[in-house]
Amino acid sequence: MILTSVVLATFAAVTLWWTMHAWRTPETLAATRFAEPDGDHRLTFSLLLPARHEQSVLEHTIQRLLRSTHQGYEIIVIVGHDDPETAAVAHRAAENAPGRVLVVTDHNEVKNKPRALNTALPYVRGDVVGVFDAEDQVHPHLLEHVDHAFRSTGADVVQGGVQLINFHTSWFSLHNCLEYFFWFRSRLHLHARKGFIPLGGNTVFVRTDVLRTANGWDGTCLAEDCDLGVRLSSRGAKVVVAYEASLVTREETPDTLGSLLKQRTRWNQGFLQVLRKGEWRRLPSFGQRLLARYTLVGPFLQAFSGVAIPIGIAAAIFADLPIGIALATFVPVVPMAANIVFQTVGLRDFGQQYHLRIKPLHYAWLILGAFPYALVLSVAALRAVWREYTGRRNWELTAHVGAHLNNANAGAEAGVA
Amino acid sequence: MTTTSEPPQTTTALIPKARSGVIDVTRPLVPAHDHQPSRVRRRELTGGEGLLAGGLTALVLAVLTVNITGFPMASDDEGTYLAQAWAVATGKGLAHYTYWYDHPPLAWIQLAALSWIPGLFQVDGPAVMAARVAMIPVVAACLLLVYLVCRRLGMAVWAAAAGLLIFGLSPLTITMYREIYLDTFAVTWMLGALALVLSPRRNLWHYTAAGAATALAVLSKETMLVTLPAVCVALWQNAARSSTRPWAVGGYLSGLVLVGMFYPLYALLRGELFPGPGHVSLIGAWQFQLANRSGTGSIFEAGAGSHELVKSWLFYDPVILLAGLAATVPALVVRRLRPAAVAAVILVLVAIRPGGYLPAMYVVQILPFFAIVIAGMLDVTGRAVPAHRRWWRPALATVAVLLAATLIGPRWWAGNQRALTAADNAGYTAAADYLRTSVPDRAGATVVVDDVLWLDCVNAGYPEEQVIWFYKLDLDPAVAARMPNGWRDVDYLVSTPALRQDPGSLPLVNTLLTNSTVEAAFGPADGRIEIRRINKEIRS
Repeated sequence: MILTSVVLATFAAVTLWWTMHAWRTPETLAATRFAEPDGDHRLTFSLLLPARHEQSVLEHTIQRLLRSTHQGYEIIVIVGHDDPETAAVAHRAAENAPGRVLVVTDHNEVKNKPRALNTALPYVRGDVVGVFDAEDQVHPHLLEHVDHAFRSTGADVVQGGVQLINFHTSWFSLHNCLEYFFWFRSRLHLHARKGFIPLGGNTVFVRTDVLRTANGWDGTCLAEDCDLGVRLSSRGAKVVVAYEASLVTREETPDTLGSLLKQRTRWNQGFLQVLRKGEWRRLPSFGQRLLARYTLVGPFLQAFSGVAIPIGIAAAIFADLPIGIALATFVPVVPMAANIVFQTVGLRDFGQQYHLRIKPLHYAWLILGAFPYALVLSVAALRAVWREYTGRRNWELTAHVGAHLNNANAGAEAGVA
Repeated sequence: MTTTSEPPQTTTALIPKARSGVIDVTRPLVPAHDHQPSRVRRRELTGGEGLLAGGLTALVLAVLTVNITGFPMASDDEGTYLAQAWAVATGKGLAHYTYWYDHPPLAWIQLAALSWIPGLFQVDGPAVMAARVAMIPVVAACLLLVYLVCRRLGMAVWAAAAGLLIFGLSPLTITMYREIYLDTFAVTWMLGALALVLSPRRNLWHYTAAGAATALAVLSKETMLVTLPAVCVALWQNAARSSTRPWAVGGYLSGLVLVGMFYPLYALLRGELFPGPGHVSLIGAWQFQLANRSGTGSIFEAGAGSHELVKSWLFYDPVILLAGLAATVPALVVRRLRPAAVAAVILVLVAIRPGGYLPAMYVVQILPFFAIVIAGMLDVTGRAVPAHRRWWRPALATVAVLLAATLIGPRWWAGNQRALTAADNAGYTAAADYLRTSVPDRAGATVVVDDVLWLDCVNAGYPEEQVIWFYKLDLDPAVAARMPNGWRDVDYLVSTPALRQDPGSLPLVNTLLTNSTVEAAFGPADGRIEIRRINKEIRS
């Protein structure tokens, strides 16, 4: 029991340590930001925009991308051959912006995001490929900053910030938003520095030649973004992460607890697949391999400790344990509770950076929801393990639009890897 | 890779303004990961400066160590803490009697962890005096931290060194820091917290560790809590104008609360948090200490306990106390010295509150802060000297050193001379020898002793439950229950000044004193230690 406590406490402390990376000193915080661009537009961008049953948000997204201040970019919208509604929206947008928007039709029988992206790769003509999702709100100045970041750092990959914004929708969306905040604001920077990074799903920019050499995305992986990051960093690609509150790509959280669970299951299962593929073994240093292993197993450790720590505490209080052991079971609570304290500070910071009003209710959600949210993550992790080992590797898409699309996943559910 | 084989039918127009298709990776314009702090700062305790601080510390420790067993006379409290540390080290719990939350236990847990040190040096003599050796590393840490805090408060090397020496060589320090007091642990942790919170790198984890160190200080001696505002001031000042201040505060609070909570948690898990019939409790102990403990009077009232105590401190060294008091007031106005000044002010105010309880070792907590503010005001004065007057500084320095040598030197010399030579514990040593060698049937005898000799008796072969702290006779029902025949179950009484101090309040001890005859006596008249045999036949 003491051993379990020590292991749990170590895990929680290491996670906390890394999560707080960006705020370690004022200097580290300053280094996580985009540098001010020099106004020069030297690179050309091909922005890939896979859309599937997302006709209601796609047009707005394209319109917003077209407002980019950068001079050299094209938008490649990828639609499925079985999805005429979205295709119609895409073609209309292409007609309205000739020379900027290209529509590519994906004829794969089994549809998922990596395959859609691979379909578009041969059409890419820019120096840099950028990936966005159909519901993203992209800032018009983002490309300029990315252009400058590529040139000033000599990076192969630039990962911009992604932020869920609708923290006020429900208690779990608040936790979800904060997860993104800590991940993109802080943790990813540590990964970039250590040379092992699971990339995010969008606002990610890769040099086209590097991407082509790496054979694009893995069409069978459920976390193609993570996989790409692992493969690129294993081959020594230089990744730069930059976060600027005003420039982040804004997204929305899954609208129901069920879809959050599905999304998280998919990610976790994807992490497992990446772990099993073993590309990370090519990382040059032992420390990087350890970080890789730890990161990819992370969700499962987190799930385990989310459940084990409360059980330990309950045992300490209700069972008649010797006092020393009972106290030891509380040791993992220290980093866990510190995490909640830092999340509270993070929520305040989040509110300030995005000019959102954080009410006492939201702090209450944060503190009271911490354990239920850990439970949700645990269920997702268990579900991922179960699905992976029973061979169910299909793509459970998270719906981003209204209720009329709830049965849209049926088509995507049919396939097997 | 699964892509469609369908050839491109439509394309976008040539991407406009594509001036360069190749990314120039050969010459990055900006270094990639520039995480170096803009203001590179030397570490304080490394290199030549480390040698200086280490050398001065060694000097002070030499004065502290010589004759550590002979002076000052062992106090009852030392015996108490040592016996409790012994209980921890031997796995008997937090005390050898029922632990009643009188103090948080961390200090004697640390003492127990250090208890192997005296054995290393083969120190002779009674247990309490030998165990003083274990305090030397703690004092060493305290001295170095005084230096470090001085430097981190922005003082010059010479001022920080002066602070270390003023603190370390004051006869009051040499006297008090030789003894085994919880306050020494507590103040060391608090100085550690202060040093961490003043971290020049403003690292989040330093702030968090500072919170933990504050909690450890309070868990070493609860009264250290009053200096918390000083650390908070330092935290606020050091994190000012930085983008990470809210995180620093969060980190500090996490460390403080999450480490500090283990003490009430211990009480809670044992079912001893709230008062109730039939058991001790943490909150009950607090209620007793805050409400029922009789005060020691005002320090301004002649004849009161506090007054006498302050007089005895002033007897050992008026210099550091008066100079410290005088330096504290202006130091409050100097921004960078404010944390130390706030600590000193609070500690002084607590000491002079009317009707409060002032323990004998209270001064231990004040001394380092006084030394820091004195050094700080010296530093301020030194900087005020105009730099363009070349000969002013050396001249003033010479005058200052000469003044110190003539005014303070003789006084400190005399005080420390006594510390280096006096044999105040000869009586205790002889009594311990007598108890170990001259009392027949030690395994069957019941002895009543003061706290100083308790561990020596246990080590000499008396059964642990038959060696009784004198005041437990009257105050601990568990002890009374072990003696069906009352005072007649006692065979020997060791009468010491501590035991005779307060005769009215302990009737059983008084009975023993009247129904006993002196078998052996040691020491001078005012510190007389008597081994008395109980006369069981005579009726009281």
